[in-house]
Amino acid sequence: MNNSFPRLIDGVCATLRSEVLERISDEYARSQVYGVINLLNTFKMRADWSSGFLLQQIEAQRIALAVATEVFTAAAPPTPAPAPPVSVSVSVSVSVSVSVSVSVSATPQAAPIADLLALRDEGNRALSVAGAWLDSHGGELAPADAQRLAGALQAAMRAEVEIELQHSPRSMFAEMSGAAEL
Amino acid sequence: MPALDSEPALARRIETYLGQQVGHPVQVSGMRRFPVGFSWRTFGLSVRGLHGPDMETPLILRLGSDAGLFAPYSCRPELLALRSLQGSAVPVPEAFWASDDASLLGAPFMFCSRMDGAAVVPWVSPSAPPLEEGLRRALAEQFIAALAALHRLPWQALPVAELAQGISAQNAALRNVALWEAHIQRWALRPYPLAEWGIRWLKAHAPVAPRVAIVHGDYRTGNFLAQAGRITAILDWELVHLGDPHEDLGWASLPMYRGGSPYLCRLAEPEGFYARYAELSGVAVAMASVHYYQVFSLLKLAATHMAATRCFEDGRSNDMRMPAMGSQIATCLRQMDRAIQKGPSP
Repeated sequence: MNNSFPRLIDGVCATLRSEVLERISDEYARSQVYGVINLLNTFKMRADWSSGFLLQQIEAQRIALAVATEVFTAAAPPTPAPAPPVSVSVSVSVSVSVSVSVSVSATPQAAPIADLLALRDEGNRALSVAGAWLDSHGGELAPADAQRLAGALQAAMRAEVEIELQHSPRSMFAEMSGAAEL
Repeated sequence: MPALDSEPALARRIETYLGQQVGHPVQVSGMRRFPVGFSWRTFGLSVRGLHGPDMETPLILRLGSDAGLFAPYSCRPELLALRSLQGSAVPVPEAFWASDDASLLGAPFMFCSRMDGAAVVPWVSPSAPPLEEGLRRALAEQFIAALAALHRLPWQALPVAELAQGISAQNAALRNVALWEAHIQRWALRPYPLAEWGIRWLKAHAPVAPRVAIVHGDYRTGNFLAQAGRITAILDWELVHLGDPHEDLGWASLPMYRGGSPYLCRLAEPEGFYARYAELSGVAVAMASVHYYQVFSLLKLAATHMAATRCFEDGRSNDMRMPAMGSQIATCLRQMDRAIQKGPSP
């Protein structure tokens, strides 16, 4: 998901109050809506996103950045390469001096969701830095290394969206447009 | 949450504003908000007294509130486009009063004429029946002809020239990419390396435009009205700009607008669409450019979904369709990636 869990709960409750309850006069139906709002507020206090798909995404990043580590540490560019604009250090760190190096630690198996979200975002920033560097300085690497790195980065970027889509329900745009169940 | 007036209160403000514009009192009735769209709010209303004491004038009000996903808004581009296209071969509503002064109606706004017809929606159930063949062909021909007429128009002497700001056939693509890159930086709630990779690809492969034309920016099924087999109006000009005409071809050919059919926008088979468009517009369609703008359009659509998630997360709207749009970011980025890998059609 892209929105935060508490904000989604707040938005659902606000919409039920202002857009649904305002248009429902049946007492039983209104009591059901209030029951739903109560339950959602309970979820907000006790629940959060599942860690499962975040751990999968972070693992895909770890694999790609491990390849980057190998490639960068083995490379010896003839001239100093400019440093990427950021340095990331969580489970992933990217730094450049004469060459580009990436250090990777194991994917955590249990952590608060906020920490996993932050870790996933840090990993994505590292992928972007490595990808931008490859686009502008890939010629300084051996062709096979550049190809291997490009493949690893693309695999991780694709894995992120594939994993997200595996954990997404069928889109209901037709229903949202037509306001009727299909 | 930014609060706009309730519809009755808004109606009173409209009466005050329009009364000042025409120099005598008017009465507003039948205010109705249309549920479509996530950006400008669209209202239908009837105004008595605009053109005579007992005469009812149906109008459309477009209101760009802070709760829209592309806020903050300006009515200027759409106003310039509609005024430029009035009387052309592109059917559009007539634009009347407009202002970006939020003190008048609570948000930037534009009044325009109310056109007859209904929208053909792009999102339908896979089991929904296709458009009746004769209707499909008739709408396809007009849909293509209107686009060709738009891209043929010599805009340099029209109000829309105000949007030019140094655009050329050489820089049209890169200016557009830079604009949407900035939008993504503003709207994204988290890093999207695939989007950044797509931006780098677009910067590295930018084509030269065959001409600089008026680009609708959201030309598709759902953004025109039709009645009795005739397209009565092309709507929703908020993303209008000057650019490469291939951009509208790329956008119209996105898979999400096919409604499960083999036809672009549920209307025309792709090869026939491009051939007829080239014939009517005089643009030699370059499939490499169509492909480029398909990639661009998928990035732009992902950015639009990012705008929706940002709008919701910031608390500017509680419209639950906005976070639902967020789930489409991954879909768009995956399709963008696949489009890059696949390359242009022969």
